[in-house]
Amino acid sequence: MSDQENQASRFARDMAANAEKMFKATQLIANTRDEDVNIGTTPKHLVVRRDKVELFHYEPMAAATAKTPVLLAYGLIGRYTMADLQPDRSLVRSLLSKGLDLWLIDWGQPSRTERWLTIDDYVDDYIDAAVDRMAQETGHDKVTLLGICEGGVFTTCYAALHPEKVKNLVITITPIDFHADVKDKAAHHGFLNVWTRSLDPEDIDKLVDTYGVLPGEFMSSVFSMMTPMRSLTKYNVDLIDVVDDEAKFMNFLRMEKWLADRPHHPGEAAKQWLKELYQENRLVDGSFVLSGRQVDLKSITAPVLNVFALDDHIIPPDCSRALGAKIGSTDYTEIPLPGGHVGLFVSSKSQGKLSQSIADWLVARDTKPESEV
Amino acid sequence: MSEKEKSAGADSDPSLEWAKLWQTMAESSNRMVEAWSGSMAPFMLARLSEKPVGFGDGNELSAAIERMAQGPRVADAWDIDRKMALVFGAWIEMRQRLASYNAVAATPWAEASKRFFETVSAAGTSETPAPDWRAAFAKWSEISNEELIRNQRTDGFLQAQKELLQAGLQLRSRQDDVAEAASTMFGLPTRKDFDDVTRQLTELRREVRALARQARDRKIEGAQ
Repeated sequence: MSDQENQASRFARDMAANAEKMFKATQLIANTRDEDVNIGTTPKHLVVRRDKVELFHYEPMAAATAKTPVLLAYGLIGRYTMADLQPDRSLVRSLLSKGLDLWLIDWGQPSRTERWLTIDDYVDDYIDAAVDRMAQETGHDKVTLLGICEGGVFTTCYAALHPEKVKNLVITITPIDFHADVKDKAAHHGFLNVWTRSLDPEDIDKLVDTYGVLPGEFMSSVFSMMTPMRSLTKYNVDLIDVVDDEAKFMNFLRMEKWLADRPHHPGEAAKQWLKELYQENRLVDGSFVLSGRQVDLKSITAPVLNVFALDDHIIPPDCSRALGAKIGSTDYTEIPLPGGHVGLFVSSKSQGKLSQSIADWLVARDTKPESEV
Repeated sequence: MSEKEKSAGADSDPSLEWAKLWQTMAESSNRMVEAWSGSMAPFMLARLSEKPVGFGDGNELSAAIERMAQGPRVADAWDIDRKMALVFGAWIEMRQRLASYNAVAATPWAEASKRFFETVSAAGTSETPAPDWRAAFAKWSEISNEELIRNQRTDGFLQAQKELLQAGLQLRSRQDDVAEAASTMFGLPTRKDFDDVTRQLTELRREVRALARQARDRKIEGAQ
């Protein structure tokens, strides 16, 4: 048989095998119910509800190593379940098993009803009320804030506006300088920054005024564009790769469930996020105003840990790095980790590194008297 | 060679066929467009099937509709028709922006296919055997990802996308005007009414909470 015939027969064999796998994938999907795909399962209980926002306290999983309670705050784009995707890929579970006292603020599912909420409300009302409640429940007058992505911006603003209530600030994959993407040479990094700057401010106003929110589906489509081939092949080639391994197949479905659960972003807060931060870059130049007060990053005096992903296509590393030069605290630590925006939390490779870094850093500061930090 | 033969030759070029296939896949997975254009599409298609004449020259048709709809208003009649005409005009405009966007978005597929076939041909010599489908697909994926991302950052792409967004929002906004008019006609609260109520609720809640915080702070000061 000639080389060409060999190749043709190999190709035909592979395609037949792939077709069989696609058929198997279809059957597996048909036989799996949504309720079988569980995310965000680490045990917790509701402490208080304020409008649609809920404060939860996670059940402890190990003897306490750091006494200061930690408040986990995700952003309004996507949900906190990324940090608790499945038991063996869960920042939440991992931090609990290292003896941290973990609390969660869950923004719920904002709709047009929340159209008028601003970032001012999220920082100065919801986070402030959660911090006060944690203080009341635990007897601590200060808490540790752990912000993820947009939640990192909220907690950074809170630490600047209410330094007396913040023991430590930990931010992960958080944009601070929204224009620092121009320093990043990787072509696949920072399209969100480029895209937002390509719009007129009036386009953003019109988008929000028309829908009353920044629609979750709209943001999903923008994120899909950022990884174009991945978005086109995940329901075919990716499925072929996981279909023979049930654990991998369920991981795939959990990830899809998280991606599908993308709430709408409250309208006025979205205008601030896209215009005042992404377009005008006000946080880093000190002109961002919340509740009538300027957010001065120099007012952040608590120890700060800034963790970012080196291959983050959504928040390029330089956008996060910018915080170090802007804050008033002398105790500042940066931890760049390999991986991408979501991979940092959910990939098997990064498991352990992120939680270990955060836990070690917090435990070291929890045992020190305040005068030494 | 006749024009027909030339065209058949071009169609059988594997790199062109390949580019066309992926371009079609990309277009069919364009959820953003579906989200913006889906809601009124059945209605508009029905109107088009009733009056197909003139659909070909979209600009003129949409301009004529605009002129008609933006004409002088009369007090007690035809307002809903005027609003419907505006929706129709916006829909045509959106379709044109979509076509422009698709044309710009399709550009990188041809270059990606060309690069890919060059790579595969270079690999399939007698010294280096052709890669299996998985290696070939990985290469295709890498090349097309690069080309698609490069295209996304061009001014042409960003402009086409912005204009599509603007046209989509204009359509949605005009659809809302029709919905508002229909709600008013039947005595139902409108979306604008809902926004007014939620605005008042949000502002009221802020005032109440500010007062509660003031009262708490005074109590703490008093205790000290």
